[in-house]
Amino acid sequence: MPAERRLIAVGLSHLTAPVEVRERLAVDPAGVRRTLNNLVSTGVSTEALLISTCNRVELYTVPGRGGEVGVAEFLASFRGPKGEALDNYLYWHRGRDAVHHLFRVSSALDSMVLGEPQILGQVKSAVRQAQEVNALGRVLNRLAQRSLAVGKRVRTETALGQHRVGIGNAGVDLATQIFGDLGGRRAMLLGVGEMGRQVANALQSAGLRELVVCNRTLERAQELAEAQGGTAIEWSRMADYLGRVDIVIAATGAAEPVLVAEDVRRALKARSYRPLLLVDLSVPRNIDPGVDDLEDAYLFNVDDLRSVQSRGMALRQDAALDARKLVSTEADRFMTSLAELDVAARIGGVVRHAEVLRIAEMARSQRLVSSLDGSQQEALDQMTRALVKKVLHNPLQNLRRAAREGDSERVEAILNAMGVQDEDA
Amino acid sequence: MDSLPYIAVLIAYGLVGAAHLLPGIVGERLKSRVRPIALTGVFLHAAALFLGVATIGGGTGFREALSALALGIMGAYVAAGRGRLSALGLLLAPLATVLLGIALVVPRHQVAALEHTPGVLPWLPIHLALVFFGLACFALSFALGALYLLVRRELKAKRFDRLGRLPSLEVLDSMQFRATLFGFVAMTLGIGVGGGIAAASLDVPWAWDPKVGFTALLWAWYGLALQLRIVAGWRGKWSALFAIVGFAAAMFSLVGFNFFFTGWHGYAG
Repeated sequence: MPAERRLIAVGLSHLTAPVEVRERLAVDPAGVRRTLNNLVSTGVSTEALLISTCNRVELYTVPGRGGEVGVAEFLASFRGPKGEALDNYLYWHRGRDAVHHLFRVSSALDSMVLGEPQILGQVKSAVRQAQEVNALGRVLNRLAQRSLAVGKRVRTETALGQHRVGIGNAGVDLATQIFGDLGGRRAMLLGVGEMGRQVANALQSAGLRELVVCNRTLERAQELAEAQGGTAIEWSRMADYLGRVDIVIAATGAAEPVLVAEDVRRALKARSYRPLLLVDLSVPRNIDPGVDDLEDAYLFNVDDLRSVQSRGMALRQDAALDARKLVSTEADRFMTSLAELDVAARIGGVVRHAEVLRIAEMARSQRLVSSLDGSQQEALDQMTRALVKKVLHNPLQNLRRAAREGDSERVEAILNAMGVQDEDA
Repeated sequence: MDSLPYIAVLIAYGLVGAAHLLPGIVGERLKSRVRPIALTGVFLHAAALFLGVATIGGGTGFREALSALALGIMGAYVAAGRGRLSALGLLLAPLATVLLGIALVVPRHQVAALEHTPGVLPWLPIHLALVFFGLACFALSFALGALYLLVRRELKAKRFDRLGRLPSLEVLDSMQFRATLFGFVAMTLGIGVGGGIAAASLDVPWAWDPKVGFTALLWAWYGLALQLRIVAGWRGKWSALFAIVGFAAAMFSLVGFNFFFTGWHGYAG
């Protein structure tokens, strides 16, 4: 059987195993290298790639002489937290399914948060670790490179990664709809509530120029400002700063509004009516809802942010349909290209074998050959070459066509008829 | 004006407009081809207009005027309408299509008189280029202003369906300011050159013409909009409204006046 069809993916993920199991199996980069070394040196695998993140532990491998059973035996030494076997958590994918699975993983289609951007980097480091211990061979090397390319294609050609999720990013979506680039923008965070931090954090990641933190107790503002990389100011100076910032995030525990329309009206005048974004994450609300009636003030409350957030998720679901199609096509393409490669290698073998036979026949006719003069010898040599080439031409053409069409049974049949053995087997 | 290339251009503009107006039906099919189609249309249009005007010998009628404005508008769309700003096509492409469509059906007239005065002819294309560039800028300013009001309304109404697909308020506002400014400068120069032509070619130094009067008003209107914005901070919504009213009036001036009034600029003859 060609190597690409012996390819196995076996593992467990957030979809099949609880965190107690996943955390027991997760390994650090050194552990990954050790495991791969172990697999290859004991002959369990001829090639192996191990992906270990907090959401999944997966082994992609071309098994050695022991086949799939050998891999299963190797895995049996790993146990769950209560000493139980892992069989119930494990999924096995073979051949094209294994390829398809890796492509889904690197495209973040199999991730806990659909379309999340970290996984591609994690697959990349897994590939690097496997390369460091020379665990990647003819099949897995190509598969690994292709899976990174597929992950990249999904990011650039589908909208899967474009729609942000998370409450912080909902704030970023609103801010960019108003200001475009956040590069030159300043924000003020009122209070030190958790959601406020998340929004401030996301804005900073999106390129916010300056963050001002304002809290009733200055010490807590200072702590947060230090952690987030911002400036702390006293509560009494809030009104002064209101005219200097573009974004206000309110997340205090106050029962009464801390910002009223009159404050904001004055601030708008001070910034000559450039738009001001106000995000009120507190319940009860910290910013007087009347502020939204002001011409250039855009006030959003926690419910608004939630609906932005759920819209982002819904758009990702839509984009995932395109991404799945792309990944499936890529898996088919990869299998075909691998089969072609495999056939090309074996055609090389056929041609070499024929040449050996030809030279042997020439040697058997040594007496006849030596009686000829130089130009006659050359003519005979050319004639035998041409003969071998002609005889092989049609079968090899058929072989290539069968490989292109992905008809592996016909490939095997033609090779068998020609008396060629599988080199890998 | 040979109609055949213009019909091709009209189809191209129509397709671009349809792609924006009906994203689900037409836009989905054309996808990334919208921009190449618009570019092809603009180049073909420019070539046809230039050749047409050149062969008639400086002759410019109402058809050519509408056609030039349509070209200017699509030129503005191609230049500015990338990324999220491609939403400009929602207004600019249908507008250019309608203007070019009118240009193709109105009867042909010539503006007489001016070509006979020696020394004036080279200035006429400069006058026209400046005026139409200015008008195209005002059209862009109008579309940017309208989009601004749309985005603003969506945000104020807390509707998030189109979030991230339309340009941001600040980008729309600053571009709208620049388009108005460029338009105003071009118009000022265009009017100056026009005045020079009038002084050189007419027997009387100043002939009242309804269009000249209206243009002066329009010029003052845009001047006022810029002034209020710079001095009193009338940005955003106000600036957008000024641009929309100004451009609507300009369209009335170009299309409406030509049918109802006569004068040096009139094509109603």
